[in-house]
Amino acid sequence: MSFLIPCPHCGNRSAYEFRFGGEVKQRPQPEAPSAEWLEYTYTKNNEAGVQKEWWFHRSGCRQWLQALRNTTTNEVVEAFFPE
Amino acid sequence: MAETTDRFTFQFNGETIEARAGDTIGSALYRAGRRIFTRSFKYHRPRGLLCMAGKCPNCMMNVDGAPNVRSCITPVRAGMQVRHQNAYPSLEHDWMTGVQHLDRLMPVGWYYKTMTHAWSWHAAEPYIRKVAGLGIAPGPDGGSKDYEHAWMQAEVAVIGGGPAGLQAALYLSQQGAQVTLIDDQPELGGHLRYRKWEGAVPQDVVAQLRSAPGAEIISRAYCFGLYEGNLLGVLQANPHAGAVERLIHLRAKRVVVATGAYEVPFTFQNNDLPGVMLSTAAQRLIHLHGIKPGNRAVMIAGAAQPEEVAADLREAGVEIVATVAPEQVIAALGSSHVTGIRSSSGEFACDLVVMCGQRVPDAGLLHQAGGKLQWDERSGAFLPVDLPAHVTAVGDVTGVSLVATSIPAANVSYHKRAFVCFCSDVSTADLRAGVSEGFDHIETLKRYTTLTMGPCQGRMCQLAGIGVCAHETGRSMGETGVTTSRPPNPSVTLGALAGPRHHPTRRTPMHYAHEESGAVWMDMGEWKRPRYYKSASCTEERGCVDEEYRAVRERVGVIDVSTLGKLDVKGRDAGKLLDKVYTNRFSDLKPGRVRYSVLCDEAGIMLDDGTISRLAEDHYFITTTTGNLDFVQQWLEWWMVGSGWDVHITNVTGGRAAVNLAGPQARDVLKALTDCDLSSKAFPYMSCREAIVADVPAFLMRIGFVGETGWEIHFPGEFGEHLWNKLIETGKQFGIRPFGVEAQRLLRLEKRHVIVGVDTDALSNPYESGMAWVAKLDKPDFIGRNALSRLADAPAQQNLVGFVMSEEAVPQDGAAILVGGALAGRVTSARYSPHAGKAVGLAWIASTSAAEGTEIQIRVNGGMARARIVPDAFYDPAGERLRM
Repeated sequence: MSFLIPCPHCGNRSAYEFRFGGEVKQRPQPEAPSAEWLEYTYTKNNEAGVQKEWWFHRSGCRQWLQALRNTTTNEVVEAFFPE
Repeated sequence: MAETTDRFTFQFNGETIEARAGDTIGSALYRAGRRIFTRSFKYHRPRGLLCMAGKCPNCMMNVDGAPNVRSCITPVRAGMQVRHQNAYPSLEHDWMTGVQHLDRLMPVGWYYKTMTHAWSWHAAEPYIRKVAGLGIAPGPDGGSKDYEHAWMQAEVAVIGGGPAGLQAALYLSQQGAQVTLIDDQPELGGHLRYRKWEGAVPQDVVAQLRSAPGAEIISRAYCFGLYEGNLLGVLQANPHAGAVERLIHLRAKRVVVATGAYEVPFTFQNNDLPGVMLSTAAQRLIHLHGIKPGNRAVMIAGAAQPEEVAADLREAGVEIVATVAPEQVIAALGSSHVTGIRSSSGEFACDLVVMCGQRVPDAGLLHQAGGKLQWDERSGAFLPVDLPAHVTAVGDVTGVSLVATSIPAANVSYHKRAFVCFCSDVSTADLRAGVSEGFDHIETLKRYTTLTMGPCQGRMCQLAGIGVCAHETGRSMGETGVTTSRPPNPSVTLGALAGPRHHPTRRTPMHYAHEESGAVWMDMGEWKRPRYYKSASCTEERGCVDEEYRAVRERVGVIDVSTLGKLDVKGRDAGKLLDKVYTNRFSDLKPGRVRYSVLCDEAGIMLDDGTISRLAEDHYFITTTTGNLDFVQQWLEWWMVGSGWDVHITNVTGGRAAVNLAGPQARDVLKALTDCDLSSKAFPYMSCREAIVADVPAFLMRIGFVGETGWEIHFPGEFGEHLWNKLIETGKQFGIRPFGVEAQRLLRLEKRHVIVGVDTDALSNPYESGMAWVAKLDKPDFIGRNALSRLADAPAQQNLVGFVMSEEAVPQDGAAILVGGALAGRVTSARYSPHAGKAVGLAWIASTSAAEGTEIQIRVNGGMARARIVPDAFYDPAGERLRM
């Protein structure tokens, strides 16, 4: 694992500078049905392809960002700060 | 021949050997008359120089304590200590040499065929370890060499300093690119340095490159892997006097692979005898080291390169007895060194056999980068195709100049001593047996026979192995295909991967005061913390901890808690954030009050705990577990992303010192140092105040981890020693003792205070941990609320309970617990409690056996000891002492 992540603050940096935060998922509303919460808490899409993920730039700007990463090639298409 | 005049000496097995400038260990030993360099892995057969290029396993030795060093390419230095490996008493007379006659007992796939019972490996392992193998890894003291890491970047990395690499590097540099050239030799020029017929080393190109702006040349460095994102793993030997190896992480925008081609041996009976070598090895000995490789040579040659080699041999004074075609060769003769060749055209006596072997592209890096290797009949080799966009191949590695000598699949000589794999003694007969046993795919054949899996990583054996597989299965070379190349190739020392021995250490502001007080240190993450303090009356742990414990319970004690994570949280929406991430409620916490809480994930698992104090309407102060600070800060910031909330989180851990002053007389000590009203009425349990303590602006929290009246005092780190010394000085009349982590753990255990991460793990929720009160399910939303509301109603699977031993025994943390003879749980913390007069502890127990009063058995020192589950804290269950 030695791919690069284009941090919007710091530029192209080694993935080792980052902490992985998993897939970006939409958190359900508090009163959403249990099935929705269970799906959110325990199920991973584990996309074979481009997936939106959380990354924390631990050894850089120390910001949480999101990246579009192709999980089969580890190519990071884009990294950005979420709105 | 090279002019070599500088002479010096080094030690080989305690014998002094002369070397010349430019020598490698291998060339110096060869010049000194050494012919056997190693004993083989399995059969202990004598082996000598084969490739002279660091590509085969035949010359690996122990150099200055480092095992498996390729002596043929390692420059020799004065005073070097070189020793042989895997032979006893010497390379020439190895007691294990008879092992090869037991080959019938060690067929291919021997491990799979014999190690069929669990005990068989345990019984056999000690003997196998003695007999088989490579060098011996150095012990802890042998690992004292210095390795270092470097990070570099290049626009273009060119791998290989031969003619193609040099031209490519110069051209790219002239185009304005910043070029880094990696070459594994002491001098640039590649094969032109020893294959004189191909032309001279273009010294003008070398000179231009050396002076080109932006061009960097790294010599004596090999590239062992091409990873994602064009990261090259490069290992440089002896970068400077202070380091034996430097591992360079080289990141390049483009990679130009110019690794060239290398020669591989033919397979025939006894092809591994010392004196049988590749033509490029003979040429290297002649042209790089001025050594005449032998007196009378037989050349084995197909169509390619025999004249070039013959001319070099004759020029060096070697008589060429005969030249035979590879398919004519029947066997090499001799036992410890070659004495002749038997071929279909007769027998020839000789002391040197020169194999003009097939040349194959050194394309491992291209394969790793995602390129494919495609069989090419004309070149007699697998050539790289379909390279990714950022990687280019130039020169011989592309196969441009390669010519087929003899196609391996067309001409296989089967014999149990016709070696394909020199690393683990795999012969053509072994491979045939492997295929006949059903391992007919090249990848399964590889795993079954260990072909290509030794130190040479397939360089010497891959082509011949594919040939045998193709021949046996009736498939073509192309259909059979290659095995996968994976980094590192060639191998890398563990020392180089581990890098420099640099352990960051954090010391608290009171570190040296502790040292003067006799602290015995323990590591907690990067921090150093006093485990306990030696005193005038006591030097061993048990007694010291007991003294410290009694001081806190009976008088007063003080502990340095500066290592706690400390976060300052400010802003209009600070309360909103804490309500969202912590299970407890904080927006209604009154300024001047402290509340304990845990942090859960969405599954309701406890991640951390700590106290949160409210200093002002928009100002909170959080403490976290020592090792969890970064995690907690990141967790808080994560849940703020996109919220637009006005919250600022500042990590003040490094700048703030903290102590916990606790014990029935803590108030008396503190009173002497501050004007702050410390009475329980003015400063009750679970409240906080800002005050001046010993002239230092401090923040005081009245909390009680150890179960006594006490204050956690946070203050600027620069006053650390001052305040600490003041407390000790003032406390003297009350019998104050500094106490360490071990006493603190005992004190808190008597109070049944849980340490998250010690008593809990990645499956622990607040309900099963007996901390249901921290989950405020009436909050509309917080992280983990949904899971916790489900867990609140669900039956528990296991419970964290307290136990008291019924007999004199102290279980270790982690000990197994049995109920009615069946495994029911495990101990998380246990200590001898002076208060209970017995050992007490915390344990996870299956809920069916977790009822109060249940008799349990705990494994202690191999036997079983009785204990009983108790509901309350072992000490002051009502918490009265905290509020005194």
